[in-house]
Order: sequence, then structure tokens, then C-alpha cells
Amino acid sequence: MLRFILADLGRMKAGAVVVILLVALAVALGTSVTLQERALRLGSARAADKFDLVIGAPGSETQLVLSTVFLQPAALPLLAGDVLADLQHDPRVAWAAPVGFGDFYRGHPVIGTTTQLVTETTTGFAEGAIFAAEGEAVVGAMVGLAVGDRITPTHGEIGHGHDDVQYRVTGRLHPTGTPWDRAILVPIQAVWHVHGMDTGHDHDEDHAHDHAGDGHEAGHADEDHDHDEDHGGFDAERPLDEHWHEGEIPGVPAILVKPATIADAYKLRQDYRGNEATQAVFPAEVLTSLYGTLGDARQVLAAIAGAAQALVAMALLLLVMSHIGQRRRQIGALRALGAPRGSIFALVWTELFALIACGVLLGLVGGYLAAQMLSAEIARRQGFALPVEFSGSDVAGLAVLLVISALLAMLPAWTAYRQSPVASLRG
Amino acid sequence: MLALTLSGVEVRFPGLDSPALRISELTLPAGGRMSVSGPSGSGKSTLVNVITGLERPTSGQVIWNGTDIAALSEAARDSWRGANIGLVMQDFHLFPGLSALDNVLLPARLARVADRAMVARAGELLAEVGLTRPGQGVETMSRGEMQRVAVARALLRRPGVIVADEPTASLDAANGAAIGALLIGLAEETGATLIVVSHDPGLIARLPRRLTLAGGLVQHNEEAA
Repeated sequence: MLRFILADLGRMKAGAVVVILLVALAVALGTSVTLQERALRLGSARAADKFDLVIGAPGSETQLVLSTVFLQPAALPLLAGDVLADLQHDPRVAWAAPVGFGDFYRGHPVIGTTTQLVTETTTGFAEGAIFAAEGEAVVGAMVGLAVGDRITPTHGEIGHGHDDVQYRVTGRLHPTGTPWDRAILVPIQAVWHVHGMDTGHDHDEDHAHDHAGDGHEAGHADEDHDHDEDHGGFDAERPLDEHWHEGEIPGVPAILVKPATIADAYKLRQDYRGNEATQAVFPAEVLTSLYGTLGDARQVLAAIAGAAQALVAMALLLLVMSHIGQRRRQIGALRALGAPRGSIFALVWTELFALIACGVLLGLVGGYLAAQMLSAEIARRQGFALPVEFSGSDVAGLAVLLVISALLAMLPAWTAYRQSPVASLRG
Repeated sequence: MLALTLSGVEVRFPGLDSPALRISELTLPAGGRMSVSGPSGSGKSTLVNVITGLERPTSGQVIWNGTDIAALSEAARDSWRGANIGLVMQDFHLFPGLSALDNVLLPARLARVADRAMVARAGELLAEVGLTRPGQGVETMSRGEMQRVAVARALLRRPGVIVADEPTASLDAANGAAIGALLIGLAEETGATLIVVSHDPGLIARLPRRLTLAGGLVQHNEEAA
């Protein structure tokens, strides 16, 4: 029987291949939509994993999350530096670290922060060590720089150069699968000094422009403002000082906070949300609301994929029914020669189901590969890993699909079963 | 080895006034050999369909050794036919892509009765009909060879009746004669009842009983001397 089916399929190779490809295409479409949406959700959840609570100046919550978690360039209003000092002394806070953006090096964001943030949010160094002086930098896994390289940042992605500022790369991090893999991390005090902001430790320097905590924007979009600062505060050799005191801290666009407990997290958010100078967000919560929107888009895509699958199923049925019509004589002859109707049914059903199952499996593989390729492309551009994974619900989906195909294949099998052997022979 | 009795058989098709076949009484003893001839539309195919159980008569009985197959269900007729009738058709109905041996075994396999002994018998039968390469694909065979495969297939389950529907019509004279001789020889050898629908005078001449149909009725029913 198996040999007969194989011989039969062999005789209509072209048709069989077309059927398999049609099914595969429809299945691949549905699979890749599902997988890619899940990958996006998982990937961004992982990216936000270390970001428990983010505090910034009042403004768009979404923008604050996109800028800190995904390092999307945007002009964020600055937060008074004293907030940082308050947080560092707050018993409900395990640690708090500033995140300062605005500078770039060849498209890579240069982020000012603290040694603590680097240690707490990464998995360690592939090479070298953390920055220890103002002119030192640590690079993410996807930055094409080696330990020892020297770089000069620009203000904004295509802004003017901070020509007299130079960082030396001292360490290279392990990949974290987040957008931070594309970042260059430098001490926050370097960012302040590069932009001429007073940190209170260098009173001996003469500052023409005192920007400390005055709400001046650290974003890159403010090209209209006067950039005649002298980078005067920047001293590549100056040792790090991460103990700040109230009244001496310049503004920062965002502060990442690790609360001591979950209850503290909610209390802190309450406190820093309730006043006019700050806003506090849980990135996970903001992302969840974004997924809500994303989920709608996914449903539209899933509906389209579903419609494509239904269309293919109908076309397939049409094809197979006409094919069964063409095989009336063969089926009739088998009956006349003594083959029971049950065997005819099994024959037609097995043949069709085998083709559909092949197509479904091929489609799953194809959809998986397509999602992988898409993820790899996004990772290359955005530096953030989109894990393509099958889940339990996919197995259920696959089972449903196979059951539907099995039922579908029964229709032509039933037609063949019902055919009178005499009518078949005359045809 | 099966004896046939038809009584009061009538086959009517919807929309036709006169019956396609009407035979009030016909008998053929076990091991009998009968030719059936007549112009097209005379009811030959209908007779074959009725006596093989492919079609149920509108009324009447089709009795083979006491079993009225007209009263059996479709599934029962399928299974009865598989076990008792060896069918040889004008256009062979072999299945390309399978070897001669697999073709011989196919109906038995589909009926799930092919055992080791049957596979061995299939090989012997192929040798008996004069084919030396059982593994040869049927699509590479000549028409004469194809009909030999079909004859071997018909005999596989040791049927009590061999029914051949125009077995030589699509063959050249030499092959036709050879196939005719083969059928008669095998029927004699196994003792099977043989019914051959044919226009072929050479083949008809070799069968003692001759039935001629016209317009669905028996015109001649004679035993040759």
C-alpha cells in the first residue's frame, strides 16, 4: 500500500510539489507572524529586565523608557541632580545610578553612568576592566572597538565634535542581548564635564557657562543652542568620584533605580510620581501597554495569515476533488479487482494527508527560518536580541492544524469511497 | 468451480424505457466456459457488472453456488468479488510506477490478504504467463506483456470464476491469440468457470458455450457441438 502511494505520488510529482509548496507557504506565513511577535515581546522584556524603576523629569513615559532601555535618541528634559543624592540615601533603594545621553561615536550612543550600573546590569567583561578615571570608557559587545582604542565623541549623532575630549577604551563587556550592547559607557562625571556642567568638585576651574541643574537639555536635538563651552571641566586623568552631595550634582535625563523590595518599588514610584519635578515609571508596565497596541497589529496579521491558509485549503480541495474525478477509472478498477472501499478511502486520505503534513512541516521550518533571519537583521541594526522560540501553544496550534488537514483530506477520500465502481469503469 | 444461475434478472436505468438487460433464466455449470457477444449496447457490459457484483440488478437473483450476490451489501459484494472473481479487462488497468509483481499483488494487498505464500504464488503465476522479470516496471512493457500481468493478477487468489471483458480487443492478432490460449489453458488447469466477453471469432470458437445478446435480451444461447 505504501509502495502504491509512493508510486502514485511519483507519477504526479509536479502536482504533489505544488500542493506541498502551497501549504508550506501558507503555514510559514502564520508561523513567522506568531514567532516574530513573540520574539519582539520576549526580546524587549529581556531588554527591560534590569530596569526596575526609571525616574526622569516630567514628560512622556514611553519616551523615557525608549530612551533608557532601548537607547533611542531623543531630547529628554533634565532632572535636578539632587534627586540622585536623595535616592542614594534612601533606605528603600538598593542602588540608583544616573543615565546620561547625548553624545555619540560613529552611531554608537555614548552613555554616562556609574561603575555600579555597569556591574549590576551586565554579566562581566570579555576583556579588560571597568573605567577608573574620567577619560576611560567601557564598550558593549557589539561595538567594534578594542581595549586601548581612543575615541572622540560627537555631540548628537551628526553634531559637532568634542575635539579636545578623548576616551580610552579599558574594557569590553559580554553580550547582554539588549540595545546596551551597542553603547559606549563612560563615567557620568565625564559627560557632565564634557558639557561644562559643574559637579562641585572642581571649584578651581573657571566656568563661563554654569549649567548645573538648570534644566538644560542633554539630548542631541538642541543644535540651536550655543556650544561654545570649553569642555573645561574634562580631565581624562581625574579619578572617579561617585559620592555626590546635595547641591553639587548637575542635572541628568534619567535615573535607574533598583528598589530594595517590591513594596519599596511601589512606594518609590508613588513618591516620585506625585510631585511636579519628577516622574517615575516601571518600564515593564509601559512596555505592557505598548504590547497591547502591538497585540492588535498581531491580530490583524494573524487574521490575514489565517485567511491565506483558508484560501489555500479551498484551492487545495478544489484541486484534489477534480483530481479524484480524473482518477475515477483507476479507483473503479481497484474496486473491480477486489479492493475494499475502506482501502480506497485510506489510500486517498493517506496520500493527501501526507502531502499536507509535508507542507505543514516545511512551512513550520520555513516560518522559523524567516523569523530567525528577521531577528538577526534587527539584532544587527538595533543590537537587541529577538529570541525566536517555539512554545507550548505552538504545539497545540500544530495539532489543530493537522487535525483540520486530516478532516479536510477526508472529504475527497469520502468521495472516492462513494464512487460506484461501475460508473468509474465506464468513465 | 462456481455454477451460475440468473433468474428474473432485470437492469433498468433511470430515464430509459426498455431495460438494459433482461434475462429470465440462465445457467452455467461449474467449470463451464462461455463466450458473450453482441453489438455494443446489447447489454454485455451490464451482464458482466451484474454477475461480478459490481452492479446490483433492479430485480432478480444472481446466484453463484447458492449465494445470491444481488442480495449482498456493497461491502460484502466487494469482498465476495475479491475472493471469487478473477477479472481481466480490455485496457489492463495496471498501475504505472509499480513492478509486474507488485501489480499482481496490489488488489490482494489492498484487501489485506497477501501473505508470504501469495507473494510466492504471484511469482509463479508470472512465470506461468511467460514473464521472466517480475521486477520489471509495467510502464516499460508491451501491451501483450501487460495483459499477461493482468491475467496473472486475476488468477492470484485462485478465483472460482474468471471473467474477461474483451481481453484481446486492444492487442494485435498474435498477442490476442496467445492471451486467449492462456486464459483457456489456465481455466482448464484450475477448473475455474470462464466467462469471456468478446468480438474475437478466434477466441469465441474455442469456447463451447456461446451467448449472444441484442437489445438487452438473450438472442442465442447455444452449446457448440
